[in-house]
Amino acid sequence: MNIIEKILKNHSENIKEVSPGDIITVNVDRAIITDMAALHPEFINNPPLRPFDSDKIAIIFDHFVPPPNIEISNRINKLRKLANLWNIKDFYDSGSSGISHVIAAEKGFLKPGSLIANTDSHTIAVGAFNTIGRGLGTPEIMNIIATGRTWFLVGETIKVNLNGKIKNNTSSKDVFFSIAKATGDIPNNNIEFHGDGIKHLTMDQRSSISTMCAELSAEFSVFPYDNVLKSYMDNINVYDYNPIKPDNNAYYYRTYDIDLGETEPMVALPDRIINNIRPVSEMNKTEINVCIIGSCANGRLSDIKDAAEILHNNRVNKNVRLIVTPASTKIYREALKLGYIDEIAGAGGLVTNPTCGACLGGHMGVVGDTDIVISSTTRNFKGRMGSKDAKIYLASAKTVAISAIKGYISGGLNE
Amino acid sequence: MNNINGKIWLFGDDINTDLMYPQVCYTLNEDEKPFYAMSANRPGWSRMVNRGDIIVAGRNFGTGSSRPAADNIKNLGISCVIAESINGLFLRNSVNSGFLALQAPGITNIVIEGDIVYIDLKNNEIINKSNNKKINFKPLPQFLMDIIDNGGIINILKNKKLLGGPL
Repeated sequence: MNIIEKILKNHSENIKEVSPGDIITVNVDRAIITDMAALHPEFINNPPLRPFDSDKIAIIFDHFVPPPNIEISNRINKLRKLANLWNIKDFYDSGSSGISHVIAAEKGFLKPGSLIANTDSHTIAVGAFNTIGRGLGTPEIMNIIATGRTWFLVGETIKVNLNGKIKNNTSSKDVFFSIAKATGDIPNNNIEFHGDGIKHLTMDQRSSISTMCAELSAEFSVFPYDNVLKSYMDNINVYDYNPIKPDNNAYYYRTYDIDLGETEPMVALPDRIINNIRPVSEMNKTEINVCIIGSCANGRLSDIKDAAEILHNNRVNKNVRLIVTPASTKIYREALKLGYIDEIAGAGGLVTNPTCGACLGGHMGVVGDTDIVISSTTRNFKGRMGSKDAKIYLASAKTVAISAIKGYISGGLNE
Repeated sequence: MNNINGKIWLFGDDINTDLMYPQVCYTLNEDEKPFYAMSANRPGWSRMVNRGDIIVAGRNFGTGSSRPAADNIKNLGISCVIAESINGLFLRNSVNSGFLALQAPGITNIVIEGDIVYIDLKNNEIINKSNNKKINFKPLPQFLMDIIDNGGIINILKNKKLLGGPL
């Protein structure tokens, strides 16, 4: 069995072998509810009577922090009531919160070998931690809260070998674009990352790649357990976990080899990612007027650092508005201490509180009809960030920051 | 579940959840939401749908978020989605909302918009009654069909008395 099949097997009962095509019932280690649950009428009107285990449930406010209107504010207040009713200890409200996948990593919920359930569709992000999880709908999370269990259809697994080392001007987002170009969309299938290049990738970089696998329609993604992950877990004092390695005879449906050294800065053109990726060098100075850095894909400390370093001794172009949204309270505070926020604000960028923010078009940067956006966030669907007529390009935080200075899509300050 | 008969609406590849359930839907009344489905990619379409119509689409149908996109097209009156391939989250959400979504590779080669198709759930067969072409689909496991037949997971939880009253 491969890593994903072994983790699924370990969470099922009385099953010795898991293979593609199986449907299995599993026990989840942790269920995470975000503020979006409050926007599902059934969750507010008929919440589960009691959770299967209060200590295995986390409530994390991320999409609408702070609430942008009265309706959402009222609904989120009901979730606060629920957190109290269920006696939830792992409750992260505004002031302590951040994007659920990032908080889950920081708080040690993502123990290698574990299985995570979360209402957000980018839950596949947890794969960076040798952990599996996928996005689930709110009704399904209600079932998990009540029973602790759910089901999975076991898909075929694709092996992606990441070899070599990325160049200075490229980022993990560009690595993802290379992967997406190679695999295309893979609904119902999983991705396992292997290869000698993984040891050079930080947890931030791995998390960016695993998060974006949602955009391939992958079921699960997973990275191996290694010294980089071990150091991360050691640093947050989490030791009680069982990392999973694939068996020697593990089966993979297909194998792709990605040379990280060959990866160059890329963008996804508006409306979709698959079959819609171009090198930045071919963008012919496409003009933009909105630049967004944030989200579970690329709102991490290393992304904020990239932006701060690029903006040092530079100014945001007069035709551009730059919005930077750190992915968690911890990242926000570290960025403050390290001077990154001052550097960005000094260059004319706007730094918001931690939230999913502009990524989902709910607040903190909703775009209008004529806006042309380049964003380090997760999705470029038509209408995703506001107006259906706005154009959304996706890129790394580096490319977004450089473009904010230039006023057009660019991969280098000296171009 | 009974066999399904309906007129089809044809959509392309990568029809995402944000098209089916745009951001604006979140805080609308339940009866208003369905009319915003596909408003960005096909304005006016939602008002032309009749109860029982079927969506046929290309690859990667339902890619995107966990928002209740399946509920929205179900509530619009769509009886079933048939696509070349379907995003796993959309498929789960469909099952959990008591809505049938089928993967039938090749379906877009045998239909044009407006055709009437018949879905034979017993023989796992889709028949285009407008040209008599047939194609097989991969059946959902019985375990999942049972959830659909029960009207979705919320109904099951209610019947088991696992849900409480309004907050």
